[in-house]
Formats: sequence, C-alpha cells, structure tokens
Amino acid sequence: MNRARLMLRLALRNLRRQARRSLLTAAAMVIGGGLLIFSVSLGDGTHEDWIESGVRTGSGHIAIQAPGYLLSHKIEDRLSTETVAAARAALRSPGIAESVLEVVPKLTTGGLASSPTGARPVEVAGVNPVDEARFSTLDERAIEGRYLEPDDRLAAYVGAELAEGLELRLGSRMVLTAQDAEGEISGQLVRVVGIFQTGIPEVDQRIVHIPLRTAGEWLGAEGAVTTVAVLVDRSRVVRRTVRRLEAALAEPIADGRLAVLTWQEAMPELDAVVKVDDLGNYMFQGIMFGIIALAIVNTILMSVLYRHREFGVLQALGFTPGQTGALVMAEGVVLTVLSGLLGIGLGLLVTWFFWRDGLDISFTWQEDWTFSGVVLDPVIVPLFRTARVIQGLLFILFIGTLASFYPAYRATRIDVAEAMKFER
Amino acid sequence: MPMEPWPRIGWRNLGRNRRRTVITAAGLAFGYFAIVLMNGLMGGMTAEMIENGTGFLMGQIQIHAADYLPQRSIYETIGGRDGADVKALIQTATADAAIEAAAPRVYAGGLVSSGASTSAAMLVGVDPDLEPGVSRIFRGVVKGRPPTSGANEILIGAEMARQLGVDVGDELVLVAPAADGSLGNDLYVVSGIFRSGIAELDGQFAMLPIGRLQALAALEPDRVHEIAAATADPWLASEAAQRLAGPISKLSDQAVVQPWTELRPEMMDYAQLAKSWSFVVIVIVFAIAIFGVANTMLLGTFERRREFAVIMAIGAAPGAVLRTVLYEGVALGAISLVFGVLITLPVLLWWHNAPPDLGWLYGDFTMFGALIRPVLRVEYDVASALWAGLALLLTALLAALVPAARAARLLPADTLSAD
Amino acid sequence: MTTAIGRAGFGLCLVLGGLNGLVASGKIEAQETPREIIDRVDRILRGESSHGLATMEVVTEHWQRSLTMEMWSLGTEYSLVRITAPRKEAGTATLKSGDDIWNYLPRVDRTIKIPASLMMGSWMGSHFTNDDLVKESRLVEDYEIEIGFEGVREGDDEVWEFVLTPKPEAAVVWSRIEFQVRKDDLMPTWARYYDDDGELVRILEYSDYREMGGRLVPAVMVMVPQDKPDERTSVRYSQLDFDIDIDEDFFSLRALQSGSD
Repeated sequence: MNRARLMLRLALRNLRRQARRSLLTAAAMVIGGGLLIFSVSLGDGTHEDWIESGVRTGSGHIAIQAPGYLLSHKIEDRLSTETVAAARAALRSPGIAESVLEVVPKLTTGGLASSPTGARPVEVAGVNPVDEARFSTLDERAIEGRYLEPDDRLAAYVGAELAEGLELRLGSRMVLTAQDAEGEISGQLVRVVGIFQTGIPEVDQRIVHIPLRTAGEWLGAEGAVTTVAVLVDRSRVVRRTVRRLEAALAEPIADGRLAVLTWQEAMPELDAVVKVDDLGNYMFQGIMFGIIALAIVNTILMSVLYRHREFGVLQALGFTPGQTGALVMAEGVVLTVLSGLLGIGLGLLVTWFFWRDGLDISFTWQEDWTFSGVVLDPVIVPLFRTARVIQGLLFILFIGTLASFYPAYRATRIDVAEAMKFER
Repeated sequence: MPMEPWPRIGWRNLGRNRRRTVITAAGLAFGYFAIVLMNGLMGGMTAEMIENGTGFLMGQIQIHAADYLPQRSIYETIGGRDGADVKALIQTATADAAIEAAAPRVYAGGLVSSGASTSAAMLVGVDPDLEPGVSRIFRGVVKGRPPTSGANEILIGAEMARQLGVDVGDELVLVAPAADGSLGNDLYVVSGIFRSGIAELDGQFAMLPIGRLQALAALEPDRVHEIAAATADPWLASEAAQRLAGPISKLSDQAVVQPWTELRPEMMDYAQLAKSWSFVVIVIVFAIAIFGVANTMLLGTFERRREFAVIMAIGAAPGAVLRTVLYEGVALGAISLVFGVLITLPVLLWWHNAPPDLGWLYGDFTMFGALIRPVLRVEYDVASALWAGLALLLTALLAALVPAARAARLLPADTLSAD
Repeated sequence: MTTAIGRAGFGLCLVLGGLNGLVASGKIEAQETPREIIDRVDRILRGESSHGLATMEVVTEHWQRSLTMEMWSLGTEYSLVRITAPRKEAGTATLKSGDDIWNYLPRVDRTIKIPASLMMGSWMGSHFTNDDLVKESRLVEDYEIEIGFEGVREGDDEVWEFVLTPKPEAAVVWSRIEFQVRKDDLMPTWARYYDDDGELVRILEYSDYREMGGRLVPAVMVMVPQDKPDERTSVRYSQLDFDIDIDEDFFSLRALQSGSD
C-alpha cells in the first residue's frame, strides 16, 4: 500500500519535473478526451433526435399491434376493443407506468383519397387529436390551417404534396375509400382542415390524419385500433419496458392477439442507420485514440531513454527492475488519466457551454434533408450520459495502460552498470 | 554549386535517435493509414449504397421520353407513338466506353390477382437476357427462377406472394389498362419470387418478359418506356450521360438521358456529405498527431541544445538552425509518409479484395430505399490518400515550427555555460 | 335524376330509361318537391328492370375506340354489362352488385373484384370510373336537390335546372351537380359536375331523344372532361327494353363467370 503511494508520488514528481513534455502529451490527451466527449454527446444527441422524430412519426418507442400487422399493414390485423383495454391496463401497471409518457391509439389503413381532380393512394391514420398532437410532431408542421381538434368529425389533415396533387385547399372535400373491417369497399367524406409539410416526400404524399372515431365508424371497427403507440421518457428504457409489458400481457400474446414491438423491430431501417452511424463514430474514436496512444508511447519511452541514468541510480539504490517498470507505468497511467479527466471535463464544459441548446450544422446542407424517412434536424442538441463519461474514462485508462507497457518494459531492461557508465 | 549543409544535418539528426524517429514516424504513419482506411471505408459504404440503390433495379443511367417522368404515363414511350429503334438505342448506349450494358424496359400499372385476393402492382417488362447485365434484380430471386423470354411467366416480390397467397408454379391473372384503351388481361405462371429487402419492391413490383408485357399493354415491340444502362463505376454515370445525349437524340429527338445523380439527388447529397466529412477526419487526426510530433522534436532539440549553441557559436545564423530543424521535420514527414504508404497499401489491397462481412452484427438494412449489405468494404480513394499525404507533411512541418523557433532562439553563451 | 346522372355517370346501365308515354308534362303537379320530380324521372327512366344494346365510343389524346355491349339492370343495386365487340374484348363483363364491382375476363376465364385502390380507375378505358357505377345508386341518398332555375333557356324549351349539393356527410367528391330536364317531356338535356372551387369539371350531354322499348329516351349521351376538351366518351343505345323478366340470380358471380345468357 505504502509502496503504491510512493510510486504514485514518484511518478507525479517525475511528471512535474518534465513539465513541458508532460504538458504536450497531456495536451494531445486533453484534446482527445474533449473531442471524445464532444463527438459522443453530439452523436448520442443526434441519434436520440433521429429516434425521437422517427418514433414520433411512426409507431412510438414501443408499438403494440396484432402479430401480422407489421407485415400486412391491413385492417384485418387489428386489435379488438378488449385487447386494447388489456394493453392499456398493462401500461398503467406499476413498473411500467413510470416510464410511459404517452399512449396513443391509432387506426391506420391504406386506401385511396379522391377529389374531382383525381385519386391517390394514401395511408389514413385515425387518431385521437389531443393525444396525437402531444405524441407526433406532425401537428407542428402545418403550413395552412390547423391540426385536428377534439370536436372534429369529418376533418382531415393532409400533406402538402397530396394537397397539390388532388388540388385540395382548406375546406376542400376529399373522399377516402378503403376496405373496411368486413372486407367491403367503403367511402368516407372528409374536409381538409389543415395542410402540413414535413419535407419527407413519402409522408407529404401519403399521410392523412382523420379523427379516430370517424375512422372507426367508416371502417366498421369502432373501438378497435391497429397500433397502440407508446412513448417512453428515454429510448434506453425501451427494452426493459417491453420485457415487463410482455410479462403483463403474456396471455393475449400467447393467444396471438397482440405483439409488443420495440422501435428497432417496428422500424428496422432507423435502427440500422443508428447502428451504422455508431460504428462510424467508434471507428473514428478508435483511430483518434490509436494516434494519441502512439504519442503517449513516444513521450514516455523518450523519457525512459532520457532518464537511463536516473533509473540506473534507482536500481543501484535497490529498486528492482519490476519496481522501475511499475514507476514508468504509474507515470503513464497518471498522466493519461489526469489529462483524460481534464479533457473530458473540458469537453463537457465546452460542449455544454457553447452548444447545450444545439449545434446548428445547417450550413453544411443546402436544404431540408431526409434520411430513411426521418427529417434530420440541422440543430444537434448534445446528449450527456454518465455511462458514456465512464466509458470514456475507462477507454482512456485502457489506452494509457496499454501505451505505458512498452516503455515500462524497456525500463525493466536497463543494465545498471551500463547506465551508470554512460556520461552525457 | 555546393549544397547547403542544413538539410543534411537535419536528415542526419533523425538517424541519431533512430528509436525516437521510428516511434514518431509510426505515429504519423498510423494516422495516415487510419485516415486512408477510414475514408476508404466511408467511400465503400457510400459506394455500396449507390451501387445497391442504382444497381438493384434502376441502373446508373436511364433514357426516357422527355415527359415520361415523373408521371410514368403508359403512352410516353421513347419516340412517342411511333416508337424507336430499341436495338439501335441499346447499341448506341453500350458503344460508350463507360457503359457495360443496357436493357429496355416497359412499365404498366395493373392488378395482379390470385383469384382469392387481388393487389395493385407495378408491372415491369424486362428482357431476361439483357437485364442481368444492368440490374441485380434476378439475383434477388429466393425461390424459383427469373421469367423466360416469350413465356407467360412472372417474377413477383416476396411480400406480394405472401399477400396473394401464391407460390412458384401457381397461376396469376394480370389485368392492365392497355395503351389502346382496352383492358389487357392474361394468365401468368409464377416462375420465381424475389426478395430485395425494400418494402416497395417486394410488395408491389412484378417482372415479366418485355414482349409479354408489351402484348398485355397493347404496345408495339418498338415501344419501350426506358432504356436502363449500367456503368462500371457509378461515378462515371454523369459524364457518360452527357456523352450519350447527342447520339441518343439523333435516334429519338425527344429522348433524355439522365444519370442516377439526377434521378436520385438525395443519394448524391449523402455521398457529398460523406466526402466533406473525410476532410474533417483528416484535420482532426493530424491536429492530434501534431502534438506527438512536436513533443518528440522538442525533446530532440532540447537534447541537442548544446550542439545548436556550438553551431551558432562558430558562426551559423539562427535562420540556418531554424531551417535545420524544419528540414528535420519535413524529412520525418517524408519517412512517415513512405512508412504509412507501405503499411496502408497491403492492408487496403487485402481489405478491398476480402471485405469482412458484418452480417452477423447488423443483418441487411435499407437506406434511401437501397438495400445495403453490412459488408465493410473498402474503396480506393486516391484523392483522400493524396490529401492525407499532403496533410501529413504539413503536420510534420507545423510540428517542427515551435522546436525550430526555440532552437534558433538559443543563446549560445548561456547554453554552453549551463552545465 | 339520380338514375339519369348516375347511370349517366356510369354510362352503361345508362339511360336505360325514357319516358313512358303516360308521363306527360301535365302530370307533374306544381306542388311536387324537386326530389319527387327527380324521383319520378328516375323511376321512369330506369324501369323495374331493363335490357339494352349500346355502342360506346371513347376518344382520348392517345387512341380512340368503339365497343358494343349488351346490358341488364335490376333496380338500383344490380347491373351487368357484357362487351360483344370488338372480338378481342368480346365476353368481358362487368357486374355491379351493391357496392362491389367484379370484372369477368373471358381470355383467362377469371373473375376479379376491383379493389378499393382501383375504384377511381377508368371503366373500360372510358371517361367513366368504376366509382361512377357504384355511386349511381346512391345519388338520391347523397345529395340535396333544389330547383335552381325554372323557365325558358336557349331555344323554346321550358326547363328545370336542378342543383344537387351533397349532403353534409355524403362520400362524394363533387361539390355541386347541375342537371337540366325539359319540362314538357321530362327528358334530361345535360348534367354538369363542379369541384370545390365552383369550377366545371365535366359535362354530360343527352341528345337524340327517341322512342325505345315503348318510352321516350335520350339515345345518346356524351361525357366531356373539361380539362381535356378534345376527349370524350359517347354512348349510343340501339335497343332498350324495360321491365323484363329477370331476377337477382341473373346477377350472381356464377352467372357472370358462366356467361350463360
């Protein structure tokens, strides 16, 4: 114990003695640590943003659906009133309710929207206006008119490209035609109350929101829904919540009446994009730290060679080669950890100070840019996570230890007699 | 003319502490290696996306009648009602050096019915012999085989097969409004089922021999909607399209030739974003490397401070010392670059030829409607390799500045009297 | 009127009606509501059931063609049209049963139900949609009817011009249909379809009034889409019979497929 403390003190003193060299190495590490935190928190922020807008445009962090719906997207695969009630009850149960922010039922079906001008294939979502406005960001995208309101009945909120194609304006009649629950073709009149624009062609061309009640009456499926979309407070609790939901809903799941899907299952494209981007980030960080590690090896090795004589003296005074190596090791680890800590602290501070409200990178793109059906927000809000900071620290510690190995090994190999003989 | 001694002194200094030189050079070389490899990987991913996005069905270049897109009206065939010499069009296209193959296509919207259920479909008439040269759609066949020329056979997507409840060998009825106003209809046998991983293709697309679709849609054999062409490298498509515009317009004056960069601009945007990122990566990596190099060189000049003092004491100007150290930096950069290229090249070659498959980690996924295999493929990126080389030399030079200035500012008397 | 427009709308069970000799102008009493007048026109034109032969000519920017067909109807729910020429399409049949439409394709000997996504598609390449056929039977339920004009229009004929506005929840795309009927013989002369902006989208014109099957009917109907004035679909009846002996079985899928008539 005492010896370890001695080593530490010696190491610190040595580092202090070579202040300039230590500072230069530390500078690389500080910048590395800072960049690590900066890129990780921005990367996480970006992904959280993608996930957030993805799940809000889609079926939530967690989607409760009939088992076949994911593939068929047909109203035949819907949840009955009782199943919906069971799902809602499960969502209210302790252990689950705490992380659930929103529970939004939707009745979605593919159909045809027609006006005197023509007809277009659309995806009609029957929604509960109040819930949906809280859940989705679509309501904020209105460029004309307004989003659906609770008293609306024959109202429709349509995308700008659909409105253009069918020559619709506010108040326009539009007839929706789709197969109802009985398999019969059924029509429904709605009037346009709002037109939105997301910049995502697939959404602006195809999505129509109408009140859930209207959709239920029209499709002969009152009370039934195709998806219960659940929003949780952060994407990390999704898997846990799904596990608990599956336990709570074991019976209807076994009967094949419903399935609980994570957003990764419901939106595999988004999941893949996040994973690939993460992989790219990891690679970049790996390379960055590879270079930092070499810089550290370099500095410490230099100092070992430079202090040949000093180590010779130490060993002559009774230090074993192992202890000499440990000293070099301690120097390396102390240097990296201190500078790494400083870098992380600085990275956190700078990122938080300058970009806590978001880093606007819109100057790098010409216009709105969509990615796998998600509009990318040009303002990246960094996401700080303790786990990431700890990961970063461990990573830095690992790099420091690894980089100190070779110099430490060299230090153990010093021939005392030779070292003492050597005169500068 | 007698050579100045300073470059030689700089160079020799590197040899005086070989280990240090090697370690520093290794750092820079590794930086170079990492940048080239990483940009190669990014390039590989972009290329993968572009190749899949363009190569699965669309082709890198498409020729249409001017008004065909975006409405895709069945009447807007190349050359209008009179049609065009399809063979000549294909020959003209393939005569271009950048173009590997070209194939004609006909499109028609219609119904596909198994009797029990019916779904709306985009029917694509393809030439079963020419199509494999242009697109990989037939390679997506998971069951059965592609349709045979002249036979009433159809290849449908896996999701469509599921929805219709049919399998290879079953019969389907196709109904399509034909170009003469009639309601074309005929029986087809499912020859195969394909899976692309792209929901739209798997659920709505059906391929049949071009002649059979022309018969169904009442189009004469010389009326096609599209000539799709494949280029060896997607990046050659833009120029090839420009070259083709003239000869093609001689064959059919209303025809337009478009490369994928115009047909799918968002893919182009992504590729450009990835490219601009590669420069950011170069800057960051070398910015960090600069500290390592500066550190070593500071150490080196500090060690040799007496030496510099002696040189200056016997009459060398401070500028000469400065140059010596700068030369040393540049020489170090040059060694590192050679070293870097030497380690990068074999890895790049190996990786390019045997890309590791990360399928176990990710599974296939789609991006921009393009299926991407999770294979970490590396592209040769000459531009980024050159830029990284330049950046490396610049880094070495920049890193040498502070030590050089320090060495040049030494006061000979003080230094020599120090110990 | 519903029939008139509706069938007009579809163009096949088409104006199977004409005026029964009994229905003279004098029989329409002044106190009748517009709905009652139209209803009367409707009943007269449609009959309980009907059978007819017609030729449809379609002219589009890209092609023109002519189809001859035989058609049957029963009430407002059922109708069946079988193409008799040209040979390439002979035997092709369309059955309307309630809200569903089925096509029989003799070439492949199959029957296909038109899915929702194709309801707005053209029927046999004409300017009528499949939906026109379905909506035909619903016009009475879907629209409020008022008299917009009563008096003498171009020429000497005294006419009614009915204005049809969709009921608040009716699933129809038109925001207004105008329909002109001659007062003296209850013959329809035209129907005009308007969109939300009050713009005329298409016009259906009736002409060549003559006696068929014992009733006066307009033997020719022409549909002109206003955005493509060079295009048109015209239907000419060569023969019409009313109140024939026919029942629901005649309009079954089996009958459609067997073509046993």
